[in-house]
Amino acid sequence: MKKKECMKSKPTLNRRRFLKTAGAAAVVGTAGLLGATQKANAGGGKLATLIDLARCNGCPDRETPACVSACKTIQQGQAPEPVDPIPVPFPTRKVEDWSKKRDVADRLTPYNRIFVQKAEVEIGGRKQPLFIPRRCMHCDNPACSTICPFASNHKFENGAVVIDHDTCFGGAKCKTVCPWEIPQRQSGVGIYLKVLPTLMGNGIMVKCDLCNDLLRAGKTPACIEACPQKAMAIGPRREIFAQAEALALKIGGHLYGKSENGGTSTLYVSPVPFETLDRAVEKGPGRPGLGAARRRMAETDGLGKAVLAAPAIGVAAGLAGAFAFISRRKNGSGKGE
Amino acid sequence: MPQQILEEKNQVVRHGVPELAEHWTIALSGLVLLLSGLFELPMSARYGINTIPGLGWSSDFITSLSVHYAASVVFIAAALFHLFYHGLAGDRGLIPRRGDLKTSIAVVKTFFGKGEEPPFEKYLPEQRLAYLGMAFIIAVLILSGLVKNYKNIYAPDLSHMVVLWATWLHNIFFVLFILAFVAHIGAILLKPNRPLARGIFTGAVRLDYARRRHSLWLAEFEKECPSLPDGETAPVKAVSGVAEDSEKTFPEEGSSTASETAADEIAAVQAKEPLERAGDKPVAERGMSGEQ
Repeated sequence: MKKKECMKSKPTLNRRRFLKTAGAAAVVGTAGLLGATQKANAGGGKLATLIDLARCNGCPDRETPACVSACKTIQQGQAPEPVDPIPVPFPTRKVEDWSKKRDVADRLTPYNRIFVQKAEVEIGGRKQPLFIPRRCMHCDNPACSTICPFASNHKFENGAVVIDHDTCFGGAKCKTVCPWEIPQRQSGVGIYLKVLPTLMGNGIMVKCDLCNDLLRAGKTPACIEACPQKAMAIGPRREIFAQAEALALKIGGHLYGKSENGGTSTLYVSPVPFETLDRAVEKGPGRPGLGAARRRMAETDGLGKAVLAAPAIGVAAGLAGAFAFISRRKNGSGKGE
Repeated sequence: MPQQILEEKNQVVRHGVPELAEHWTIALSGLVLLLSGLFELPMSARYGINTIPGLGWSSDFITSLSVHYAASVVFIAAALFHLFYHGLAGDRGLIPRRGDLKTSIAVVKTFFGKGEEPPFEKYLPEQRLAYLGMAFIIAVLILSGLVKNYKNIYAPDLSHMVVLWATWLHNIFFVLFILAFVAHIGAILLKPNRPLARGIFTGAVRLDYARRRHSLWLAEFEKECPSLPDGETAPVKAVSGVAEDSEKTFPEEGSSTASETAADEIAAVQAKEPLERAGDKPVAERGMSGEQ
């Protein structure tokens, strides 16, 4: 199953696809598939991002990759500041406090919304490292957002999935339903402190918001802007998807994010299959894998559609019942006359 | 809907099969919605509800959402069936009337020994007000739920303002629904109202109770059947006549003979014409329709 889904992501070359991708490649031109669109219009419409793993080198000359540093810098003013002491939730007694480990950069934390995974893989018979920037995939129909009981997590029209920290209770439901368990919890901060701090909620959930404030201002997300390798790009969804497919075709590579979890607005292009990368990366809490990710919410779609049809069913049954009752009453009156 | 006096059993049929089916369909699906709605809050795993045998699924948000959806289909369809069926059939018994609030306050005072209850129609004035309140709560829950549902399937990027309104209305009215449910059960537990409880299980209530407390309702029988064959009296009068010694001769409330047969009687009434001619059958088993 896992293999099958990943195989689906790999573009297969047929004539139609070739012409399509060749056309897209022509639009992009020789300036480089990514570089030219790195600052593509990010102001409106549906957006998508592209991450070219052939370009990302993990910033070997820096202590922390540029994208990670840029993200940390831009989030500084918004970093969660928990109360001291943090209320201990009943009955789990599980406090998640990253406030004293803010510098952690090798996994996702409430203070680190992006990190770079390393995978030692064989390319062309040679072992070499591949670096994979990891953050929220900003899924097309994200369960983390649709299932949030307070609408604190919302997918905006531009594609960014954003958590509102002012209304988030930190129940971690979004993390539970995310196939990659991206959102990270910081206890001791948020609205739950003003309600029932030990009985309800446990902080706030934090994840990449695609720098939505910058996007609204027509600017580029910090990580993309900072990348010295121009390994990441953002732009209109259709263009980015066309570019990603063209790039994958060009290098004989593989796509991830196109169909995973029902589709996302983040496309990874890799020279090696993602099953290989999934096996090669270190996985664990805050360190998601790159395996197949089915959209579990799809299991509820059939019943959900039945719910939307329920009013019509009720009205039809009511009309039929009333008609039968009135007819009976009429016939009864008639008989009596 | 069809109503009938079963004099020999000291019963009056208060609800027909459709009303009983509607009530219990809405009540049971509402209860499932209430529980599965609670499980949509991340509380099952936290409070170990998922360790209770049979509730292991409660901490799986996708499964509890499926349960919530399944119950919604039944709940919404039943609510709209109720609205259209009774709306078109002309049942107005539960619609609040002028003065209901004032009378309700007076009734509540009687629970504390102040004053006496006025005669009632089929439904108590506070029942009519509660019905309106519950109908409003259910309407908001359904509408906000449909918006949330539509967003989940077709429009994850629906306007945040719309999603916020739908979500918070759903949450607030969910709490109101719980309060209304508790109040509903509480009202049934009040001593003067207890005889009504049997009605929602079997469809019939004690005739002596109805005569004592719902005399305006019973008077409807007379209004519905004004002309009677010679030698017969109007139903209410007949009832009144029999009722003089009802405390001694009628079966006690909860009597197995009475309660076991009541549902059968209701089903039989449904099968018959609701407005049979007054003279077609004995006065004591004459039907009445119109008010729900």
